[in-house]
This record gives sequence, structure tokens and C-alpha cells, in this order.
Amino acid sequence: MHQHHKEVMKIGKKVVLVGNPNVGKSAIFGLLTGRYVMVSNYPGTTVELMQGYATFDKETLLIDTPGVNSLLPMSEDEKVTRDILLNEEIETVIQVVDAKNLRRGLLITIQLAEMGLPFILNLNMEDEARSRGISIDSKKLSEEFGVDTVATVATQKKGINNLVQKIRDSRASSYRMEYSRDIEEGIKKIEGILPDTNISKRSIALMLIAGDKSLSEWLYKHLSKKDISRIEKIRLDIQRGYDEPLGYIINTQRLECLDGILEKAVTRSETDTFTISEKIGSLSMHPVFGVPILIFVLFLMYKFVGEFGAQTMVDYFEGVIFGEYVNPWSIKVVEALIPVGIIQELLVGQYGIITMALTYALAIILPVLATFFIAFGILEDSGYLPRLAIMVNRAFNVIGLNGKAVLPMVLGLGCDTMATMTTRILETRKERIIVTLLLALAVPCSAQLGVILGMLSGVSLKAGIIWAGVMIMVLLVIGYLASLIVPGKGSDFILELPPIRMPHLENIVVKTLARIEWYLKEAVPLFILGTLILFTFDKIGLLSVIEEAASPVVVGFLGLPREATAAFLIGFLRRDYGAAGLFALQMDGMLDPIQILVSLVTMTLFVPCIANFFMIIKERGVKIAILMVSFIFPFAFIIGGILNFLLRYFEVVL
Amino acid sequence: MGSIEEQRIDELLELIWTMEEEGNRVMEDIVDRSDDDMARSVLEKMENDTIYIAGEEVKFTKKGKKIAESIIRRHRLAERLLSEVFELESKNVHQEACKFEHILSPEVTDSVCTFLGHPPVCPHGKPIPRGVCCTRFKKEVKPLVVSIKDLEPGDEGRIVFITPKEHARLDRLGSLGIIPGSTIRLHQKSPTYVIKIGETDLALDREIAKEIYVKKIGG
Repeated sequence: MHQHHKEVMKIGKKVVLVGNPNVGKSAIFGLLTGRYVMVSNYPGTTVELMQGYATFDKETLLIDTPGVNSLLPMSEDEKVTRDILLNEEIETVIQVVDAKNLRRGLLITIQLAEMGLPFILNLNMEDEARSRGISIDSKKLSEEFGVDTVATVATQKKGINNLVQKIRDSRASSYRMEYSRDIEEGIKKIEGILPDTNISKRSIALMLIAGDKSLSEWLYKHLSKKDISRIEKIRLDIQRGYDEPLGYIINTQRLECLDGILEKAVTRSETDTFTISEKIGSLSMHPVFGVPILIFVLFLMYKFVGEFGAQTMVDYFEGVIFGEYVNPWSIKVVEALIPVGIIQELLVGQYGIITMALTYALAIILPVLATFFIAFGILEDSGYLPRLAIMVNRAFNVIGLNGKAVLPMVLGLGCDTMATMTTRILETRKERIIVTLLLALAVPCSAQLGVILGMLSGVSLKAGIIWAGVMIMVLLVIGYLASLIVPGKGSDFILELPPIRMPHLENIVVKTLARIEWYLKEAVPLFILGTLILFTFDKIGLLSVIEEAASPVVVGFLGLPREATAAFLIGFLRRDYGAAGLFALQMDGMLDPIQILVSLVTMTLFVPCIANFFMIIKERGVKIAILMVSFIFPFAFIIGGILNFLLRYFEVVL
Repeated sequence: MGSIEEQRIDELLELIWTMEEEGNRVMEDIVDRSDDDMARSVLEKMENDTIYIAGEEVKFTKKGKKIAESIIRRHRLAERLLSEVFELESKNVHQEACKFEHILSPEVTDSVCTFLGHPPVCPHGKPIPRGVCCTRFKKEVKPLVVSIKDLEPGDEGRIVFITPKEHARLDRLGSLGIIPGSTIRLHQKSPTYVIKIGETDLALDREIAKEIYVKKIGG
């Protein structure tokens, strides 16, 4: 996607899709281009730009922009969209509007009209609006704004041909909104200072009056310092007349104006009947009924990912495909073709790239992740995820986060490495750091979880409850402390709830494939790197040195057998391998129940795999990564030691 | 009610306050803007009592500031009252409020303020000076305008004002259509506030819900 990014940006004819979040923009994009895209319900998922050539004209490039609620940027996403409109040479803009949420959509329409760009108003999800008793006089809308209006139902591919035809003769809007006198005067003054650009001076003047800080870069490129301070003075003069920020005042005036248009163009008939999806939607966030639904959803996910993915599929891939075919065959080929011993070992030895890294990445993690991605995609597209965020919001408030953080946390149960990357959807640096830390510390990934649950089931339910209790305690306490220590602030919890919908199989497949592609490209190389490090350590004898050094802690403090040290060490490089090492000790009867519990708690808290560590460096920087690790290492052992002490002191029978 | 003389002084104090908000204290401009033909001589009479004149500029004395503040408070509260309760059009609100500002007693002013939910700004967005009632929590008057957190699930309300702690939050709410004049419906309060605006369901923290004040519709 990225390689030909630059090349396509040069093509002349550009059609840009713009719209609020959750209006089906990506679905329209998919229908117009036919190339694969990510379609998502959860706000903030469409961070990357999607581009593709139109099916109706190979010369036309379509650009899908992140969902925005205003062209006055308040987030990075919104800035991206505004910058495209500001800087690119655009043939046509297709504004996708959720027909049932016309008011919010037209707020953007006014801004597009002001920019003077040719555009089409696309009323999508027209069926949902109709079923809610909302009927829109699209002719009236066309008259008001002076642009074409096209109704579509993207999920049923309705109205797309019509949309394509209208693209050719799109035009700039004739609509001109009149603001209050002071603002209009300010616009006139600023227009006199501004240089010519792709979009109208009036719209830029309005952005500047509204106090758009994201424009400063553009300003410094095009204007002198003197002019910039002149503009700022004009702005301040207007602001003096108001107590509230001008951006808000402008927005309010726009909405007042819109309400006049809506009165003419929209009629509502009362439909008191609740649809089934509304009923489910409202039950799933009910303070009482929401809880069993949450538990049920998690249970289904466990059945699908934890049992089908992590057990059935992994057994088949690891045991049959890799165990019986790929690995024996590779060993034979490598030994036959490459007579050098060390290279043989590097490829197919105990810590070999094929026998360890690829087996691990493809036979153990991939099946788990694939099932997890499918389940997650269904949750996303059904609209359940934001409701899950509502259910857990208060608990997350305790640890300085809000319900939105549930997304990476749940993902962490699949793969912490991937989850660390998705912390990008969180708004502030503080939230990202806290989630990254908690993921590394106390959220076991699916591969590890499988082994842990297996081992605990061999002990007792009580041991399982203690293990889970310790994890939850650690999450809450460390989260709470981190929220006090990490500077910065949390973000507002304002979350849009899309309606509960039946997920489309096609979208789930497309999305899962895109995520697997990401995994193969981004995460698998890290597994190979980790294995190489392990291989080197082993070759130069560093493994046994570290083992020797760590033994006193493991044996004396944790009360575990010496052999467990190796499991911890390997656990850093491959998290589930560490757990598997412990599992082998358990099988050999070398661990009593308390030792099993202590070793599992320590192992879970221990830094996740090396791939995750690299991802932390990539996302948060070296400094924070090192700080986190130097906290987690001793912390895991201290908690393990305390647990060991308590269990023995109170002579707990597990 | 005061004499004609007092009323003229009140009008000028009000004007000086308003212009000071706009950053203008110049005596000549005040005289120009005033409807009173005798503004200059009234101002001279006020000097050293409610105002003092420093060079070209007019400034309040402590006493003058206090009087002006209470006039402005009455005036802007009256504007709120007229637009919220009697739904007067905004262009008439100012004139009518001018009559009110002279007749509201301090007790009635505080009751009006409480009734309206202690609004921070007038319908034109200018700040209303705070009164004693705003800091004290008492609900002798059943307020007409309440925070979303005081609504019950199922209640509908028209947003009257929003008192955010941060401007960024106001912008964000605004772009979602949450501005004065919009109608919202409270869906639930627990585990998190969910409101419906248009056909959009929005989840909000209690802290944010608390800052949105509405006038209940029906019921």
C-alpha cells in the first residue's frame, strides 16, 4: 500500500470521499474502487488513508479520508482530512452523509460549500432513515446547496451507478452562509491578507477566526510574520465580544442556519416501534442485563478463540502440518543442500529460524490470531465494541483511562504486540503509556493463556481464581499508580454508538485478511529477530551464564526448582515457550501446586515476548521501553516472591 | 425604583461595563455610543463617585464596579429569562431586558438565577456576573433549567447552555451537534450516560453530562 503511495498522488484526477465517522464511507469507497479496504465501526480505526483507482475510470484516483465531524481539526484524523482538501488538487469531493443523521452531515456540507470545491452530496443508509420515519426531500437539498444529491444504500449496492454518473458533472456549491456582522467583517479583513489557494479564502479566513491552530504550518509557509500577527489581532478583536471560543460560536451559527434548511427539507413521521437491533443495542449497555450479555460474548469468544483456535487449530498446524510435514521436510532439504553445521542449526536447529521462529509464528500464533481477528471483526462490525466500552468505562476510570481503552486491552488477550500498536487509537500520550504498560505487565496473550489455563486446570479451581485475582489486582493497582505518576491527562469519554447491525461476511473476511497481512509483515520479522538473539545467546554460552546468575532469585526467593530459570529466560523471547517450559516441569512432577501457581504468576507478569518489547520501543521510544522493562522485571519477581511467602505462611492448600 | 437621574447613571454604568468587555474605555467613544444626549455632563457628575477619569479613559471606582456588575447581572439574567421562558426572539430580548433590570430586587434576581440553573452567559454569549446564589447550593426554587445529570432516563430536553471546563471539549461537543438549541433525549445514566441527539447515540462521562444544561420538554 505504501510503496506506490507517492506515485499515485501525482495523478491528476482525484476524487476524495469525506464524511462523518460511521456513515459507510469505506463501503462506498469499496464499491467505487473494488479494491480491498478496512471497514470499521469503531471510531478511530480508519487512521490510514485508503486509495484506489475507480472501476468506472482507470484514470481517476479515489481517496478515502478518515471520518470527521468538522473540518476544523480537533484530532490528527481530522487534520489529515482537512489537509487533503487544502493541499491536493481535487476534481470532486463526494461527501457521504448518514441520511438519518443529516444535521451532523450537513455541518460538513456547509464547510465544503465554503471551500468552493465541487462536490456531490451522497445520502447513504437511506433505508435506515426511511425505517425511522425520516424522509428527505433531496430536491430541496440540491436547491439549497446548489449541488447534486444522490441517495444510496451501500450495503445493498443501491444507487452506486447513479453516484458514478453524477461525479462527472459535479460543481461548486452556490450556497453562502451569512455569519454575524462582526465575524463577516473579520472574514473580509483576513481575505485581504490571504494568498490564493486551492480552496476559497473565505473558508480559510473562517478557519483562522475559529482559532484553528493546525493551520499555523500552512500560514508560516504562505505569509509573513507581520501578516500572521495582523490576522491574530483581527481574531482577538472578534473574540473579545464573546465569552465562548469563536470556533464554537461559528459552529453554533452554522447549526442554527442548518436547522432552517432541515425544516424545509426533512419531514419526520413518528415511528414508535423499536426495531430488534435497537432493543439489543439498548440491552447490551443496560446496567443489569448488559453484564450477562458481556459475559456471554466473552464466553463465545473464549470458545471460538481459546478452544477452537488455540487448541484444535494449533494442534493441527503445529502437530500435523509443521510437525509431520514442514519441519521434517525442511530439515532434510537443509541438511542435504547446506553442509555447514552452524547454518543448518541456524535454520532448523533447536533455536532455528524455521523450526522455532516460523513454527511459532505460523503454527501457534497465526491460528490463534486468525480466529481472534474473525471474532474481533464480528464484534466491531456488529457495533458491540463501543457498548462494551460503556460497560467497562467506570472501572477503567479508576486506572486513569476510559472505556475506549478496552479495545487494545481485549486485543491484548489475542496478541500483546498487535495490541500495543493499536494503542494509537487512544487520544493522549498518557493513556497510551498506561495501556502499553498494562499490556506488557498483566495481560497474557492467547498463546500464553492457553498453556496457563492448561496448567491451572491440572491444579485446582482455587489456584485459577488466585491467579486471575492477582492479575486483576495488579491491573488495578499498577494502573491506578501509573495514572498518578504518568504526566499529562486522560481524554474525554465521548463515544458515538453505531446501531447494532448484522455483520457482513465479506467485510469480515476482507478485514481479517488485511490484519493477517499486517501480522505477517510487521510481527513475524520480530519473531525471527528474537529467535536470532536466542540462537546467538545459546551459541556464545550466554544462556547458561544468565541462568547461573538468576538461580538464587528463582530458587531462594520464589522457591522454584533451578530448572525453572531457563523457562523464564526463554519466556522473554517466546512467551508461551516459557510457559511451555514450566508445563514440562509440571509433567515431570517437579513442581508442587504452590510452585506451579507462583511460577505462572511470575511468568504472566514477566515482560511479554521480545516482539512486544520491540513494538514498545517502536511505539513509545527507547527511553520508555527501558523504563517499563526495568520496572516489570523486578516487579514480576517481587509479586511472585510475596505470593510464595503468603501461600506458604498461611499453609494454603491448593 | 430610582429617579430619572439614577436611571441615566445606571444606563451609563451598563454601557461602560459593556464597552470595557470589548476593550474600549475611551470617554469620547462612550459618549458617542450612549443614547443619552447629556451623557457627557452625567459622566462628569459621576466622576469620583462611581467612576474616575484618567486621561482619555473612564474607569470604575470600587463602588461603581459593584453597581455596574449588579445591573449587568440583572440585565443578562432578564435576557435569559425572556428567551428561555417566554421564548422571545433574540432581537427583542435586549430592549425588554432593559426594563427588567431596573425592577428586579436582589432576592428576585437570585431566584431567577437559580430558576434558570445559574447560567454563565446571556443568550448573546456574554458572561453573566456570578451572584451569591451561584456558589451556594440551595434549591428553594425548582429550577427550570437543569443539568443532564438531573434528568431521568427517557426525559427530553432542549440544551440551554454548556459550561465546559475546557474549550476543546466545547468544540468537540459542538461538532457532534451538542449546542444550545439542540434537543437531546437521555437514554440511560448507568453504567455510563447515553444521550440521543438526532439519530446519533452518544456515550458521555458523567462529568461531561453534568456540564450540559437543558430545559425539559414535556412532563
